[in-house]
Amino acid sequence: MSNKKIKDLILNILVIVVICVTLTPFYFMLTTALKTSQGSVAYPPQIFPTELTLQHFKDILNPAIFPFWRYFRNSFFVAFTTATLAVIIGSMGAYSLAKLDFPGKKLFQEGSLVVYMFSGILLVVPLFRIISSVGLYNNKFSLVIACLVTTLPATLFMLSSYFTTIPVSLEEAAMIDGLSRLQVIYKIVLPLSIPAIMSVFAYVFMIAWNDFLFSSIFLSTPDNMTLSVGLRQLFSSKDYVWGRMMAASFLTAIPVVIMFSMIERFITGGLTAGGVKE
Amino acid sequence: MPRKNTLKKAEARLGFLFILPSLILIASIIIYPLCYNIVLSFHKVALNPLKQPKFIGFSNYMNLLTDGDFIKSLMLTFLYVIITVATSTTVGLLIALLMNRKFKGRGIARSLVILPYVAPVISLVFVWQYMFNGIYGVANYLTVDKLHIFNAAPAWFDHPILSMVLVILFDTWRVFPYSFMMILAALQAIDGSLYEAAMIDGAGSWKQFWAITLPEIAPVLGSLVVLRSIWNFYKFDDVYLLTKQVPIMGVYLYQTAFSIYDFGLAAAITVALFIIVMTFVLFVKRKVSRI
Repeated sequence: MSNKKIKDLILNILVIVVICVTLTPFYFMLTTALKTSQGSVAYPPQIFPTELTLQHFKDILNPAIFPFWRYFRNSFFVAFTTATLAVIIGSMGAYSLAKLDFPGKKLFQEGSLVVYMFSGILLVVPLFRIISSVGLYNNKFSLVIACLVTTLPATLFMLSSYFTTIPVSLEEAAMIDGLSRLQVIYKIVLPLSIPAIMSVFAYVFMIAWNDFLFSSIFLSTPDNMTLSVGLRQLFSSKDYVWGRMMAASFLTAIPVVIMFSMIERFITGGLTAGGVKE
Repeated sequence: MPRKNTLKKAEARLGFLFILPSLILIASIIIYPLCYNIVLSFHKVALNPLKQPKFIGFSNYMNLLTDGDFIKSLMLTFLYVIITVATSTTVGLLIALLMNRKFKGRGIARSLVILPYVAPVISLVFVWQYMFNGIYGVANYLTVDKLHIFNAAPAWFDHPILSMVLVILFDTWRVFPYSFMMILAALQAIDGSLYEAAMIDGAGSWKQFWAITLPEIAPVLGSLVVLRSIWNFYKFDDVYLLTKQVPIMGVYLYQTAFSIYDFGLAAAITVALFIIVMTFVLFVKRKVSRI
């Protein structure tokens, strides 16, 4: 018995070590954001800040000094729109794949699996040309479309595998009771699928919020920039005020982290069922 | 009978109607651009979008093959992919095994470990730049002053080999949570009675791992390796943001297009990448059932 206890103790200590190592960069992100400007460049580095200040956060959030809120709004607009569209278009498509039969369904499923593996950097060159020629360059909507489509295969997969678990008999019973197919969908299937829909929303939101690749080539003026490209532009010189940089990084990470922690229960199931990409 | 037939037809119509938005999006934003890209790769593309691209046959491809940078970038990418796939999968597996027990605060521990995977890459790159800064970075402090691994501050962002080490470390740290989540879910799906039976037979934990755990999670490990290989073959953002010294394919492609503005050549690189990964996918498709 005591042997087992010692083993457990060692394993628990290991868990703590793993967590500490994993979170080290986050620790430095937060503490550096709170250090004074001198403190952040002190040597030896201050593991525990000697003096704390909220000045960097105040600077970042002050529109006169820093366009953080504008970038934040742009990022939020892109992520929220993309996630909402993904849920709508994805639910329709996924229902079709899960419950209905149409010619070419098999082909579509296999095709979207291939698409799932070929996106991102492979699309950058042709998409840039296309987007420019249709006049969507430097338009946030181009970013929405790009993020929407590159996540669509995963969205369809996650939602349709969830829809498949809803028994057909339930839908049939409702239809016998006089509900139409559409009523069945929004009165029964969708309410039952809230966890899956939330995971998809969060997943797409996260991808769109974190995107750097598409934002960096589609957006050119500060008015339209999202946090990823905006911050990179502002902090392109390496010896910029670290405190501000870390405060901005921290605030950029917060929305997705909060979102993820709220739906973590759902998403670990969803992610693993769908084999979802980063 | 006819009624059933019309019902079936109505179903098919609805099914098609529902999939239509997805179909249109994928066709116009993925399939069409990929085809257009093939066309572009045979042209000299002017920077000015109003100017028509000029057909030049296989010149872009010839340039690629004779250009040492492409081959170098390709080799570098293979190296990067092999190492990061191995490290991120192994680390994910070990931590999944560690956390696949009952202990207090397991839920929180799991959520915390996932954080690097969730947070925006730009934030993470910034803090790594701070930690690995050559003058006051904590990595410098640890490796030079405390552990004496290096004599002088290592140039993490400028030295080709150290930069490679840095991007590998970063990627391992960033994506291991994905392997961790997938493997943990697979571990939890293993039937507990298998272990009970093994224990009655007197098998120790080491033996149980090889005889039960590993075979049970092998399909998941397989698909993880395949997917991570593909994704890291296209890796762009964190490597590009961290250093200019590791021109893997994604970075090389991006720079050809958006620093040198040679879209024809960039299109040819895209086609080459596509073919390489497609070959890989077809090769492993038969071997890994889940893909």
